[in-house]
Amino acid sequence: MLDALDKKLLKTVADLEGLPKGAYNIRKNGKLLDRQISANIDIETNADGTGIIVTIKPGTKNESVHIPVILSQAGLFDVVYNSFIIGEGAEVTIVAGCGIHCGTSESEGHAGIHDFQVGKKAKVNYVEKHFAMGEGSGRRTLNPTTKVFLDEGATAEMELTQISGVDEADRLNEATLGPGSLLLITERVLTEGEQRAESTNNIILQGSGSRANMISRSVMKGNSKQIFHANMEARAKCFGHIECDAIIMDNGTNETMPALKALHPDAELTHEASIGKIANDQLTKLMSLGLTYDQAVNRIIQGFLK
Amino acid sequence: MLELKKLYFTIQDDDVDIGAKRNIIDGIDFTFEKGKFYVITGPNGSGKTTLAKLIMGINPISSGSIIFEGKDISSLSITERAKLGIAYSFQQPARFKGITFRDLLAIATGNNDEKKFLEMVTRVGICPLSFLDKEVDARLSGGEIKKIELATTIAANPKLAIYDEPDTGIDLWTIGPMVSLLKKELTPKTTTIVVSHNRAFLDVADVIIIIDKGRIVYSGDLKSALPLLTDLSICTYHNNCERDKDVGCLR
Repeated sequence: MLDALDKKLLKTVADLEGLPKGAYNIRKNGKLLDRQISANIDIETNADGTGIIVTIKPGTKNESVHIPVILSQAGLFDVVYNSFIIGEGAEVTIVAGCGIHCGTSESEGHAGIHDFQVGKKAKVNYVEKHFAMGEGSGRRTLNPTTKVFLDEGATAEMELTQISGVDEADRLNEATLGPGSLLLITERVLTEGEQRAESTNNIILQGSGSRANMISRSVMKGNSKQIFHANMEARAKCFGHIECDAIIMDNGTNETMPALKALHPDAELTHEASIGKIANDQLTKLMSLGLTYDQAVNRIIQGFLK
Repeated sequence: MLELKKLYFTIQDDDVDIGAKRNIIDGIDFTFEKGKFYVITGPNGSGKTTLAKLIMGINPISSGSIIFEGKDISSLSITERAKLGIAYSFQQPARFKGITFRDLLAIATGNNDEKKFLEMVTRVGICPLSFLDKEVDARLSGGEIKKIELATTIAANPKLAIYDEPDTGIDLWTIGPMVSLLKKELTPKTTTIVVSHNRAFLDVADVIIIIDKGRIVYSGDLKSALPLLTDLSICTYHNNCERDKDVGCLR
């Protein structure tokens, strides 16, 4: 039931060679393709049939759940609402991702709206990859939204990657951090040709002792454009940092807007942002080790987006 | 093994009249012999680093030629010179994002031999060994990044190694072992050129080259070099020096 194309998309967005071990839910062209639950991880379709609810039992350790979405049906724009309830003290890895194959001139797209309730002292590792391919001229759009609520002492580590082929992306990440919780977001976006990607991040440090670190790495090739907003608001004694770096290649453009708002006297917020071409000293160093100019560029970009 | 012939590097000078030209390297002729340890020294701004960069191809020469093992390499790229066996250790090494020490060693050696890498790390005085997977980024201290720079240069196993002020930022107790590594272990297999003011390098040099205002003003042993090194005549500011009457420098 997985054809060759499905397998290629799954391999790229979820590092899966076939069906994953443990719990999973595979959605293809807006419909459930396959689902597996485990003793600690339950997956059910939500009441109005627009998505799934993934419930992780308190205390679950070292388990993972894969929830990839694949699209290959011309003209389809698939919207899905997924909820994740992570029980107290649980430790889990969630691998999401969307692969689009566009074979016609009709556009295809996906919007995944994910909300996470991370329980006390729970730890979630969320990995999301976006990728599009195909010979069709239709536009491929991916508009993901993630909303994260971290309870006391909870940790969320989120890796959000857009690899290639996505024409239009409009991302929204929202997070509210409870006392002593920790949020780490790393976003990597590569655009090329005429592609456009916008990312808006609103992080609220609500609880005392909460910490957030948002890292964004962008590479713009061709005539592509990326816009990055990061807003961090501190409402308690907390620590927050935003680091956004953009590398411009060819005629790419970038707008980066980190914003810090401290509403508490003990808030500590910092940001660093940079936009520019690949630094000359990096290229020279790698060339002096024997790489050609093009190899050096590729190696630097590969590391930057690693 | 390396010949510099009537080497010039000329720039448009912003300080003087617009359009005026200035020779940063002003007609250097010199032959480096295989397996010797050379130390290039001279005042700040005399052209030491520029000369080193001309040899590696980082700066293009304005005129003259560079012959490496009988081959004219004057118009070759940095990459081509690296492939012929020239390696360069930067005074201010590049910092990356997402590239580790291990990655650089793999690029330099063309393989992924962890055993050899660990051997290398120990030799340049980096401890602990977990250093191998550290990112070569802005978080490294000045000394740490210089040791990494040194290791990647040595790892390339070059025929000619150029080190631009390798001791900057290195702690005092590492300099001795570093000198001994470069001099005793690597030369004579590698011909070594070190740009340095450090006495520790001058002491072990086979040949000392003193550069002033883009020209070689001395080449030979340390004993004969000493009077010159202490002499004011190689100071960049000798034209407007007020001598002992009103010493403004830190001499």
